[in-house]
Amino acid sequence: MLDTSRLWRQFLSSSWLQAGAMGLIATVMALGLWAAASSTFTALDWTAYDFWLTDRAPIPVSQSLLIVTRDPASEETLGVGPWDRAVLARLLTSAHESGALVIGIDHRLNHASPAQLGGAASDALLLEAMSAAGPIVVVQSPEATLVSNETIAGHLVVTPHPDRITRTVPVTVTGDKQSIPAFGMALFEAFQQQTSPTTLSFSQRSTTSLLINYVGNGTINSLPTVPLSSVWNAIEHHERDRLTEWFKGKIVVFLPNPVTGGSWLLPTGQTITSSVAHLHVLNMLLTGNHLYQLGVTSRSLLTLLVAWLVAWTLIRFRGAISLLFAGKAIASYGVVVILALTMGHLVLPLAMPMTAALVVLVGTTIWSHLTAHQRLMLIEQDMLHLQQEAIAVREALVLRETRADTLQEDLDVARAAITQSTGQQEELSRSADVLRSQLADARTQEDDARKKLKGLEQQLHNLRAATNESTAIDDTELARLRDECRQLCIVTQDPGLLRLYRDLKKGAKSPLTVLVLGEPGTGKELFARAVHRLSPRAGKTFIAVNMAAISPELFESELFGHTRGSFTGATADRRGYFELANHGTIFLDEIGDLRLDHQSKLLRILQEKSFYRVGATASTTVDVRIVAATNRDLQRGVSEGWFREDLYFRLTGLVFRLPPLREHTGDVPILADTFLHDIAAQMSKPMPQLSNEALRALVEHEWKGNVREFRHCLEQAVALNDGPLLSIESLRLDSALQPAGRTKASQILPDPASDAAVLHCLREHSFDMQATAKTLGWDRSTVTQRLKGLCFQALVEAAGDQADATLAIAGDPSHLRTVELKLMDYHNHLISVIEPFATAGEALLDCKRRFKNLPDRHFTSVETLVRQHFHQKKESKFQSRIDT
Amino acid sequence: MRRRLALMTLLFASCIACSPTHSSLTQALEHAPPPVVEFPPLSSEPLPASEISEEHRLPELLPQKPEDAVTALSVLRAEVRLSPDRADSRLKLAEGLFRIGDLDAAIDECRAAIALESNNAQAHLQLGVALMAKQDGRAASTALKESILLDPTLTQAHYSLGSVQYSLGQLTAAIQSYRRALELHPHFPDARYRLALILKLTNQHREATQLMEDAAIGGIPQAQYFMGNAYRNGQGVEKNLALAIHWWTKAVELGQQRAAESLSQLRRQALSPDQSDRRKKDAYEGFNQYRGQLWADYPDAGRNGHSDSLGITLLKESQSPNGVTTLLAEAFALGETAHEELARLYETGLDTRFTQFDARILTCFTTTAGDGFVPAKKALARIYGKGLGVTQDVQKAKAMLKELPKQESKAILADIAGP
Repeated sequence: MLDTSRLWRQFLSSSWLQAGAMGLIATVMALGLWAAASSTFTALDWTAYDFWLTDRAPIPVSQSLLIVTRDPASEETLGVGPWDRAVLARLLTSAHESGALVIGIDHRLNHASPAQLGGAASDALLLEAMSAAGPIVVVQSPEATLVSNETIAGHLVVTPHPDRITRTVPVTVTGDKQSIPAFGMALFEAFQQQTSPTTLSFSQRSTTSLLINYVGNGTINSLPTVPLSSVWNAIEHHERDRLTEWFKGKIVVFLPNPVTGGSWLLPTGQTITSSVAHLHVLNMLLTGNHLYQLGVTSRSLLTLLVAWLVAWTLIRFRGAISLLFAGKAIASYGVVVILALTMGHLVLPLAMPMTAALVVLVGTTIWSHLTAHQRLMLIEQDMLHLQQEAIAVREALVLRETRADTLQEDLDVARAAITQSTGQQEELSRSADVLRSQLADARTQEDDARKKLKGLEQQLHNLRAATNESTAIDDTELARLRDECRQLCIVTQDPGLLRLYRDLKKGAKSPLTVLVLGEPGTGKELFARAVHRLSPRAGKTFIAVNMAAISPELFESELFGHTRGSFTGATADRRGYFELANHGTIFLDEIGDLRLDHQSKLLRILQEKSFYRVGATASTTVDVRIVAATNRDLQRGVSEGWFREDLYFRLTGLVFRLPPLREHTGDVPILADTFLHDIAAQMSKPMPQLSNEALRALVEHEWKGNVREFRHCLEQAVALNDGPLLSIESLRLDSALQPAGRTKASQILPDPASDAAVLHCLREHSFDMQATAKTLGWDRSTVTQRLKGLCFQALVEAAGDQADATLAIAGDPSHLRTVELKLMDYHNHLISVIEPFATAGEALLDCKRRFKNLPDRHFTSVETLVRQHFHQKKESKFQSRIDT
Repeated sequence: MRRRLALMTLLFASCIACSPTHSSLTQALEHAPPPVVEFPPLSSEPLPASEISEEHRLPELLPQKPEDAVTALSVLRAEVRLSPDRADSRLKLAEGLFRIGDLDAAIDECRAAIALESNNAQAHLQLGVALMAKQDGRAASTALKESILLDPTLTQAHYSLGSVQYSLGQLTAAIQSYRRALELHPHFPDARYRLALILKLTNQHREATQLMEDAAIGGIPQAQYFMGNAYRNGQGVEKNLALAIHWWTKAVELGQQRAAESLSQLRRQALSPDQSDRRKKDAYEGFNQYRGQLWADYPDAGRNGHSDSLGITLLKESQSPNGVTTLLAEAFALGETAHEELARLYETGLDTRFTQFDARILTCFTTTAGDGFVPAKKALARIYGKGLGVTQDVQKAKAMLKELPKQESKAILADIAGP
């Protein structure tokens, strides 16, 4: 199971694998489509070839070929219908005597001559002539009545494609348990044997079929022919010279069969007989103008390759650019097909790769839609993992840092001891060496951890970018979403917020409980209402309840209602908010401010949608969609104990975290515009305009109270300003508390070395000692000492409560863990240092030496802590003595 | 086509004449021509008849006049009308109809005869032959087999069945049928010839040549032609050009056009300048040997010298018919002495044996000159130059002398120009 999910993850993250699978499926589908409509696909596949064959420059005609064709004049002399074989015998003998190298005859020896055509005597004459004229290629026939050892059988089979166009002939066919070569090929081989017996080439036999390279338009007229009547006359009149001129050194082929219209359709549109097709093959072989085609496997592989390439392009580059690239890939293949045909005479498949590419085009789009969600989930998981890892590394870094510091201290102590006791010098220097090496190790480890952290953060950053990219919305969709938002009074142009809206829109359709988180004034209620309006319950009631505003005593009565007489003043039945919101949506605002006892009361209704009215004996069940919102960190609430974990989990069906205004300052101008328009309308004033400075100030201002504060600021400005232009002064941003200045202020504190300034700087750098030291221009150990002092001080102030002390130092919950680790480490170290001493005085003496770099004001805290420790120790001893 | 069928009919009927069984059919064809079965007479051959073939055509081979058959037919019809229930008369009528080529009517009559007398082997045979002529091989085969079943000694039926089986491509069966016919009637040259042909086609050359030789001796011109071929090619016999020339000459005498062509070809081989020396010599030797062997037939004839012509000797000894034939044969076999003698005889004539300007001599000269024989060319040049028995044509005469050495041609031209 784990393996499957791992493989699936691998598959989803590899564009190569996905493209491969897609290509394979597309190829199979293309093959299937081919099988279903083979004639159409064949015609498409050979379109380029057919065009090329028709329109190219004609191929040469071999000088070694002569075809003697039956003509009407010869029919007048020798009669119509099949001829006496004695005639053929005479033709063969004459051709042989006139020096023909190889003779072929389109004649089958599959029947005995009937008596009227010379009978056995003519047959005998023909066989005699054949044996005298050397190897003669005849047409193979399955049941040969006459057998001659001097003949070579050649088949006249042609294999038309499914679109009924003849483009190929099989190289061999199997008949009588032996393979019969094609007529043209048999002639060519015999010719080769005659001309150059040593260089026998049977390379063509390795293929199964030959593409015919037609001369001219593919008819017999394109080949060198002599009418049979002329030849016959020459034979009759013993015109030896003419015969020699025709036949000497050539392949002579006789076509003595009655002339019939051909039955095989050529790409050039002509119809021919199969013997003519084979003669074109012969000419092709003689002139060496071969055409090549790929086998089924190669064609499929090529299709797979093209499909895979297109799929990869589409998956790798998303959006319009991918289509462009895919188009380019397909076009390039087209060019390759044409080039291969014209330059290499190689016919590459066209229809299958194109079909596969189309299938891929459609398939990839569907696939991307289907898996987008899953991919996003995977990326989120990866981010989570990385985050966790980063946290772990950060913790390790903190520990290492502390360890390094501690070791430094120990080293210092050792050094001091050296100066004091020269007797122990040797031993001490050894221990100092050990400590030094430990320190060096610790520093190396720390550096490693730092590097690792950096790497992880980079990865996380990349992933975030990937997430943003993968969920990128194009401009048109953005505009559409923006308009939809505006209808729901959500004014934004921020893609992040719009994306959130898009998710909310999807989520709204489900009955899940929605939890909207966000700082005050970020528009939680607006989004809650949007959930309602976008849900199927839009036509029903929407009840908004501010949980913080309900009187604790009336909590149940308000939410669940009561029955008459259930308490004093309950004079009638009253329905609660949940009942009122039946079939609609209830919005529980400020759910984080709910008291613990009230939290438990909400559990049941959230789980089962049923409750008891106050005083009622029967439960009431409602159908209500619950949307909750809070500006508090509920997770922290759970960990700190002020929020029920079970309630938390019931609320987090769908969680939307609304960004504060400072994270989408791009919306400030449009918000300002909208608000000014509204405010002006409310106040019946002309809508004022913002000056450029004012707008810039608004954008740069840190709106702690977010949109609400922003609106109030504008309201105030409009109310107090009469002019048509709102200047920066009229906004009165200065008069308001300027939290934005705080960050800068920290750097210009009167005493940058004050504890407050150091602490602030530490917080800013997330308690990274090195970074803080760099900012402050101090040595790192100085910063460590200051933090140590602060920690001890905080511990003293918090009366030993580590959690409180941590909170006090951290300031921000995000630093809690780091500070906690450091604080605990410092404290533990202190304890370990003072542990061996019997009295507080001795311990303090040692501490004074050990923590000599600690400011004096903090050393008082150390003193307090040491005394407290010994005090506790004494007490516990005392207690144990009593116990015993 | 009709004409051809009629001729076929005659040819088949002629075979029956050789049959030992004296059937009505054979009786009716007593004067039928010698058995020439598959080869139609020369006039129906696709090859246009040349002058040589006219020379060697035998008068017996000319088709019989159909008038006789027509008159006979009316008599037969009357006979059938008088006694319609007699199978005999119907069969005779069928025979008559068959002879004039009315095959459908003949078949009907045969069937009528069989209906009257179902075990009449002759009727079945006649039906088979008619069906064969109609090219209905399968039906013919059935009818012939039926007739053999009724009368296994019917040679003609076996023979015809062989032909039918061959045309149906059943070569082995055809061989068996012909063998059976020969067993029944060993002196049946045509059956021998046909059997030889089929054996030859099935590559059994030795036996084929043996049978073919028997047939050739039996006077079958086609067999003689094939024998010539066999001797030339060394098929089944030892290669011997003299014997080949012997058989071809015999065949030519019996009107075998192809044999004449083969001879002509061999002459060209002996005379043509573009042939290899060995081939030339072989051919030339062949002709010489042939001429020498001619003497063997006439042991009594005195031979004065090796180059002397047997024809001249025979003419001198007044063996006129043999002398003429032999002289011509020698001339055709490139005998120079014979040519000179013939050139002389052409101008002078010799009593009744050679008229002045004898056409046979002119044909012989034309043929051999066409094949490149110089003495014949010289003689022809003289004939045309002087207009001896032909229209004077000096140009033609000059053309004849074109390839001769200048001196010789000058002498001849001077002779022509002279008185």
